[in-house]
Amino acid sequence: MVNVITSFSRITILSFVLIFTIIDLIQIFEYKLNEAVYSVLSTIQSVMVVLFLFNGLYVLFMAKDDPGMIMLGIFTCVFFVGFYVAVSKLCDFVPRALINNMFLFISFGIVTLARLKTELAAKHMIILFVALVISLLVMMVLKIIDRIERYMYIFAVVGIILLLIVAFFGKVENGAKLSFAAGPIRFQPSEFIKLSFLFFISGCIVTYKDMRGFLISSVGSAIHVIALVLARDLGTALIFLTAYVFVMFIAYKNYIVLSLEIGVATIGGILAYNYFPHIQTRFIAWTDPLSVVDDKGYQISQSLFAIGTGGWLGSGLNKGMPNKIPVVTMDFIFAAISEEMGAIVGLCLILCFGCTVILIFNGAFNCNNSFYMLVTSGIAVLFAVQTILNIGGVIKFIPSTGVTLPFISYGGNSMLSLMIYILIVSCCNNLYFDSRQGRRHD
Amino acid sequence: MIDKKTHRLIRKEIYIVAVLFFGLFIAMIIYYCNYLENDSKDFIYNAYNSRFSVFSDDVVRGNIYTADGKVIAKTVYDKDDNEVRTYPDERLFCHAVGYVGQGMAGLEAQYSFDLLKSNIPLEDQINNNLSGNKSPGDSLYTTFDYDTQMAAFEGLGMFDGAVIAIEPDTGRIVAMVSKPDYDPNTISKYWDDITDSTKNKSSLLNRATLGAYPPGSTFKIVTTIAFLRANDGDDTFSYNCNGKYDVDDYTIHCSGNKKHGKEDLLKAFSNSCNSAYAYIGMELDRDKYIGTTEDLLFNKELPTLLESTKKSSFKIDSSTKDSIVAQTAIGQGNTTVSPLHMCMIASAIANDGVLMEPYLADKLVSADGQLVSQTEPVEYGQLVSKEESKLLQSYMAAVVEEGTAEKVDFGDELTVYGKTGTAEYTENKNITHSWFVGYAVDDNGNKLAIAVIMESAGYGSKYAAPLAAKVFEAYFQ
Repeated sequence: MVNVITSFSRITILSFVLIFTIIDLIQIFEYKLNEAVYSVLSTIQSVMVVLFLFNGLYVLFMAKDDPGMIMLGIFTCVFFVGFYVAVSKLCDFVPRALINNMFLFISFGIVTLARLKTELAAKHMIILFVALVISLLVMMVLKIIDRIERYMYIFAVVGIILLLIVAFFGKVENGAKLSFAAGPIRFQPSEFIKLSFLFFISGCIVTYKDMRGFLISSVGSAIHVIALVLARDLGTALIFLTAYVFVMFIAYKNYIVLSLEIGVATIGGILAYNYFPHIQTRFIAWTDPLSVVDDKGYQISQSLFAIGTGGWLGSGLNKGMPNKIPVVTMDFIFAAISEEMGAIVGLCLILCFGCTVILIFNGAFNCNNSFYMLVTSGIAVLFAVQTILNIGGVIKFIPSTGVTLPFISYGGNSMLSLMIYILIVSCCNNLYFDSRQGRRHD
Repeated sequence: MIDKKTHRLIRKEIYIVAVLFFGLFIAMIIYYCNYLENDSKDFIYNAYNSRFSVFSDDVVRGNIYTADGKVIAKTVYDKDDNEVRTYPDERLFCHAVGYVGQGMAGLEAQYSFDLLKSNIPLEDQINNNLSGNKSPGDSLYTTFDYDTQMAAFEGLGMFDGAVIAIEPDTGRIVAMVSKPDYDPNTISKYWDDITDSTKNKSSLLNRATLGAYPPGSTFKIVTTIAFLRANDGDDTFSYNCNGKYDVDDYTIHCSGNKKHGKEDLLKAFSNSCNSAYAYIGMELDRDKYIGTTEDLLFNKELPTLLESTKKSSFKIDSSTKDSIVAQTAIGQGNTTVSPLHMCMIASAIANDGVLMEPYLADKLVSADGQLVSQTEPVEYGQLVSKEESKLLQSYMAAVVEEGTAEKVDFGDELTVYGKTGTAEYTENKNITHSWFVGYAVDDNGNKLAIAVIMESAGYGSKYAAPLAAKVFEAYFQ
């Protein structure tokens, strides 16, 4: 019986995700759609998310005989409602397409984690609610800060100090220093400094509006990146660097500077390759993983075994062996999804991530305040780079860098920071406060 | 308030960046699809991939058959109802079919994925699922001809070496034997003994496809083609053989120091005259010689549908000593070939120059008899020109009619074309590998190409050619 349900669910899960993705590809043109169409499409998407979530959890419930699965589904729906209500209270226009995408990713995370390690899914659920509360508090604070760009130097200094603390006192994991522990909670500052960093460079640009802004933010960015390189967290350093380069381009519209910066970044990359042995081993594992399969290439080979063996339709939930992949719940969760739900679902997921990036850029385009326009653009770049680094690393498109997959990987730090991103993007028209003018609408 | 148009203009960079990143996502999708469609097989069949055990929970591994329908690998149950993979013919097909047990090898490894897939009707699968039975996996039909394989296996007898026979017009491999061999039924039990490197037997190695042998006089086929290409297809040649050829301070002797006297190219070929061919080798332009061997797939990955093959090696350059070049021209020197490669050359000559890529796996059939997939013959193209193949056909016919293989009894119904070889491989010139490369045609125009090597057996005409005759007999009867 369980086998029939699992086999059958491969097709239903695939159809739900496929319908969602097709609508997503229409929704990225959200501002050309009229309101009724947008609303109908968004509703269908929401339904697909819920169907996907319960279909996946039902299969796991049957396979593992664990009623906790259904509870997970119910709690996830409670979270969705809570998040939706919070966003509608915070801002005038609720970007439903964007939020649906976030819900889809969270559902993927819950189903996959429940499949891999049930107790992690329960913890993930708690993280979701805690992150929601904290991120709403952060939004409240942002709303009452008067002319936020005035505090840009505080953002920069706090960010750099935290990064340096990690660089010198952090715990070493996989050759990089990422975090330090505070009691039972593992605090990974770089996730939050991404945001303070965006506030800093956007602040510089809107405050000075000329070369000074460019110079100060460039120097500040350089210090951030160097601090990350000292901590050997090169994946995150790359994310910061890319965000800086493209925010500068959007602000100053200068193609020459853009190409110069990309050139400098490339040289930096080559230098990093020559100076860090752990990058070189990752390169070998990337170019020919099977040659070092029992050593450095073990992880990526396991990931590719999983994806290849799963094939286009997947093995069916609980039918594969994703737990063979090291750190599958964090960096390599995409391989687990591809193995069991199939590569077509994996492909849809990549498309949905791409659409989410466009939706965030849409938010930036329509933002009526230049500070948050820049922050939102930066968020889009951060989100895009992080996704590409993660999935690209899992499918051997690029060497693996050890960053997490947004909203899907297990982990509290990234979940909280991502939730703050989405809330900022959703409310970017309602966040800026200037005590001299009230809320600015230009 | 800024109007819409200006707004769009001052913020267009946002969409430039957006499109750029979306492009990266698309690139990633293309890469991902390409991996699944093309590259994933390398990973799926890797021995480190432990996921097969999951498939075998639901499906019984399918059988492997010869082309004429004999089971050569099947799954049976022992007294405790455990699945056991058995090979009824024990050693007969061991290298080609491989084994399951100590990891996997051969067709068992290459087609593991397909053998563990069931393509019986969906409702049967669901019924099996519900009743807790396993579905039967698809069966693999190979291109082997049982009797031909048996003739090759028994003919090789106690000798180490290899036999491979290919249908020239399709590329179907009808026989492939390599010795020393092993029994795949008991591979796990004797694993340590089989893989004991101190015994230096390398029983697991399929010498037919992965062997690297000195080609001996069979290489004169290649030198002949190089000569024809150097002379625009004209085979006018004259040489007076006095039984030896001196180059530098080295002397090349004809077999048995026989003086062949005045010869044209056909005579030199059918007599396998070392002096004449050493002379030809010295006269050839080295770059063009290398070019010809590379056209004939030396130093290259062989175009086959097989899992793994060995590159043949032909190494001379402008700094190579003359004496080495002369030896290379008669198949000694540093040249190495696999029996498969020599068989492919013979196969192309038989097929008017057109090489068909050799293959072993013919089709996959579901347990209820439905065809799942069928291998279509793949044409590599013209390996040698039609005119060259015609000339070589007449030369190889002369070898059998009046040359080194004159005394071999190939039967009356067949027309046989070939080249013998006796390859030295150590300083001791009395221990030699015995080679025969060629093909046979029957009255109906059916053809079979063959390459035989018997290690340390002696003259090609005495050992390898009679074995080829037995294989032809088994195939054409």
